Amino acid sequence: MTLFSESGGITRRQFFKGSGMLLVSAVITGIFAKIGFDASAASDEYINKRIAAMYTLDEKMTLRKSHLNPEITQIYKEFLSPGEVKPLTEKSERLLHTKYGKEIPALIEELKKPHVPAANAEHAA
Amino acid sequence: MSDVQGKVLKHGDSTRTMHWVHLLCFILLAVTGIGFYWDIGFIENIFGGGAKSSLVHRWAGVVFLVGPFLYIFFNFNRFARFMDTISRITKDDFGWLKVMGGYLPFIKVEHVPPQDKYNAGQKMLGWLIIIGCLLMILTGFPMWLMRDMVPAVFLSLCYNVHFWTAIILILLVGGHFFLAAIHPKSRVEFSSMMLDGYIDAEISAHHNEKWFKELKQDA
Repeated sequence: MTLFSESGGITRRQFFKGSGMLLVSAVITGIFAKIGFDASAASDEYINKRIAAMYTLDEKMTLRKSHLNPEITQIYKEFLSPGEVKPLTEKSERLLHTKYGKEIPALIEELKKPHVPAANAEHAA
Repeated sequence: MSDVQGKVLKHGDSTRTMHWVHLLCFILLAVTGIGFYWDIGFIENIFGGGAKSSLVHRWAGVVFLVGPFLYIFFNFNRFARFMDTISRITKDDFGWLKVMGGYLPFIKVEHVPPQDKYNAGQKMLGWLIIIGCLLMILTGFPMWLMRDMVPAVFLSLCYNVHFWTAIILILLVGGHFFLAAIHPKSRVEFSSMMLDGYIDAEISAHHNEKWFKELKQDA
């Protein structure tokens, strides 16, 4: 039985077409990678500028620590933990802290309830 | 019966191996990709959940890239001949496209122009697969390795290009499978790529007349 098969060699034209395809692929990959790395560098530059701006703003502030803010300590002394500055009381947790994930539905239900009578009752107590 | 006798080695061992590796990777990539894009639980569970499915997708992507790269590295001559064939567009190719090679039942065909090793449709598929794979690789790796480094708009572009290229590639590969394995006129091609690499010389002389003439000259 006769068996036909291609010869192993290639012509100059085939060599250039094969090499050309590899070259084009490498160039496209390079361009795409450059776009990605440039975007990444621009992103880093923006983040660094933003960090610097935040630190600068913070350094210029008179009061830089919330627990030393006289208004906050006053709220604690007069309302959240009467007579003292005591964080994480039940009242401060409920009024100042937010909720996440699975706690959200219960929070929504709580917010639907009438607040004024409950607050009055709490204040009276 | 035709006077052409014998067999033609159409696809060598390394080509068939690369085709198998690429096919298996493509199936894994397509199935896992569809699974976690549309959040289809049972597909993800085949691979052990969403996280593992994603891991399979990413590493199949690595093999999808490395497979053809190794093939080209060790078989540059075959690759160069393939590129030469699919980039050689002649009036015979336009003639083939005009009658769609006689594959469509509603186009009356009296004569299909002689074709190279790959017909005009296969040449177009070859280009679309190359461009599609390049796009998948170029968008896939930033989504995996650079997701915390690049801006959201660049990542979003990658996701969109990756998704739509995947849809087009899946449709193309589906059509390729139908023509190569199911269609009665062309399913003889199936065994030459998926099994032993050989095809009857009579079939090659008919479907790939120009290429077969070159083979006869070389023989």
